[in-house]
Parts: sequence; structure tokens; C-alpha cells
Amino acid sequence: MKNHSILLILTIIFLAGCATPNTGYYWENYSGTLYNFKKNPNEKTRARHIKELETIIAKAGQKGSRVPPGVHAELGYMLAQNGEKSTAASHLQKEADIYPESKTFIERIYLMLGLEE
Amino acid sequence: MKNLTLIFAASLFLASCGTTTQTKFDAYPAMYDDRQPLSVLVIPAINKTTAADATDYFNVTITEPLSNTGYYTMPVEIVKDIFLKEGVVDSAMIKGMPTSIFRKNFGVDAVLFVTINAWDKNYAVIAGNVTVSMEYVMLSTDSNEIIWQYSATQVVDTTAQSSGFIIADLISTALTTATTDYVPIAKQVNYQAFAGLPHGKYSTLYRADGEQEILVSLKDAATDIE
Repeated sequence: MKNHSILLILTIIFLAGCATPNTGYYWENYSGTLYNFKKNPNEKTRARHIKELETIIAKAGQKGSRVPPGVHAELGYMLAQNGEKSTAASHLQKEADIYPESKTFIERIYLMLGLEE
Repeated sequence: MKNLTLIFAASLFLASCGTTTQTKFDAYPAMYDDRQPLSVLVIPAINKTTAADATDYFNVTITEPLSNTGYYTMPVEIVKDIFLKEGVVDSAMIKGMPTSIFRKNFGVDAVLFVTINAWDKNYAVIAGNVTVSMEYVMLSTDSNEIIWQYSATQVVDTTAQSSGFIIADLISTALTTATTDYVPIAKQVNYQAFAGLPHGKYSTLYRADGEQEILVSLKDAATDIE
């Protein structure tokens, strides 16, 4: 047990010394606002997380980088739950455009939300 | 404390000498041929501990490090909702299933099972920590074989975010996530797990990290799973 921890520390320090991988994604405080929404689901925490997703998309636009996986899908999903169906559908479509491998998943979300495709 | 300093010094020394034992390619050959997934479905974490809150900490922090390693991942919360509609309330229910069902239903190349085996908080007056034990198993939805796995047990200091210095962007996350100490800690644990994962298509290191050396302990730890 102890050995593992020490080896892990060694590994991390070694790996940290290597070149930083770059997908060019900006995640802002995604985990934090998602956690708050999960922990206390209410209008305020929901709106805050939606705003964070919009910020991530805006930031990618400014920096000319790819929107991270799932962000358009999650925003579309949450907007659909708010009743904003057309904006929701356009975000889901964007997810499938940026990441064609998400097609089956996105179709499933459309079905679950009762959105027209 | 003195011990920690010594360990730190020793590790820097060892790291600079490059005393490593295995390349990523040798450790995970399946990740360097057509078995390597483009998309990975993260199954909501299986929590074997009595700390119910640990599940959310890991679910909300796993997408970022896995995506940053170059894989397409789906939002865990949506996946969870889909599972609930299908009557799956606990991911442990689907662990033994043929993974081909996930290819059929989600169109994914691989699934990732995450198991929390320990999440023990220790409180003290001036210092606190949490003992975290995690298992990660990635299976191909084509062949059902394990293509990557990792497990580790570690003690993370929760008072000073002392481990946060390791990766610069974790520090900023720790500072901006004022909500709880445990979100950045879980994120850090997830980042560490994927440090040994060969990079996927969306990373600049795609198929370029095979010679990157990882300590064999990563693999040894992983083989403890079964």
C-alpha cells in the first residue's frame, strides 16, 4: 500500500516533467459549477452551470480552439429541459458536427427529450 | 514532514535520471493499433465505500482529464439520466454485461468503468487528508477486452492542497473552486490516473507518446484489479 503511494508520487513527478499534452480545450470552472448544480439543484445553480457551458463555448470561439467534447451536448440537454427547444436542437447538432462519432449518442438524446430531428 | 521532503527530493533526483521501466507502448499495446478508441463512454462511478458523496466528486471531474488526453467523452450526467430511464440505478448492475451493447446504444468504441474502493476522510486539528483508492478499467466495445487499466491508492492532503503544485492548472482550479475542497482533489486523482493513458486522436500527442516512459508500478497496480 505504502509502496504504491510512493511510486505514484514518483510517477506523477516524472510525468509532470514531460511535455504538457495539448488538446487546446478550455474548461473554465466546469467541474465546480456542475458539482454545485448536482449538490443543490435549483434555478440558480442550474443557470450558473448553463452560463459556464456558454462561457466555455465563447472562450473556444475567441481562442479559435475546438469546443471540448460534450459541452454543446450538455448545454443542449439543459436548454431542452428549460423548454428552449430550438436553441437546444442547434447545440445538439453542433456537437454532432464537431464530433461525428457522437451521432448515435445525440440521436438518443433527441429521442429522450422528444425533440424533432 | 521531513520524510515528505526527502521523498520529494528523491523523486526529483530519480525523475531527472529517468529511472523508469516501461514505455506506454509496451504497457498498453492495444492503444497503439486499431483497438484504440476514438470515443469513450464513462460509466457513472461505482462507489464501494460508505461515503455517498464521493460518487459525485468523481463523476463531475472525470470528463475534463479524459478529454484532455484526446478522447471523445460524453457528459456523465446525461449518461446517468439515460441509464436511469433504462432502469439502471447502479452502474455495478451493468459491469459484467457484454460491452457490445454500449456500441449499439451509444456508438462508442470503448467503455470506462471507474470504481471507488476507498474514500476515507481523516480530520485533524491542523491537517486533514483523504485516503483514496481507485480502479479504472477501459474495455473495447468491439472485442470486450481490457485495453487499459489503472489502479492506485493514495493519501491526499486536504488542508493545503499541497499536491496541487504538481500540475500548474490544477492550482488555478483549486483556487477558483471555492465550493468544496473535494472537487479539485477528485479532479487531481482523475488527472493522475490518465497520466499513464496513451493519448487519443484529439491530442497533439496522439500516437506520439508510445516511447514515453511510465513506472511499471502503474501496470502492477492495475493488475491488482482482478
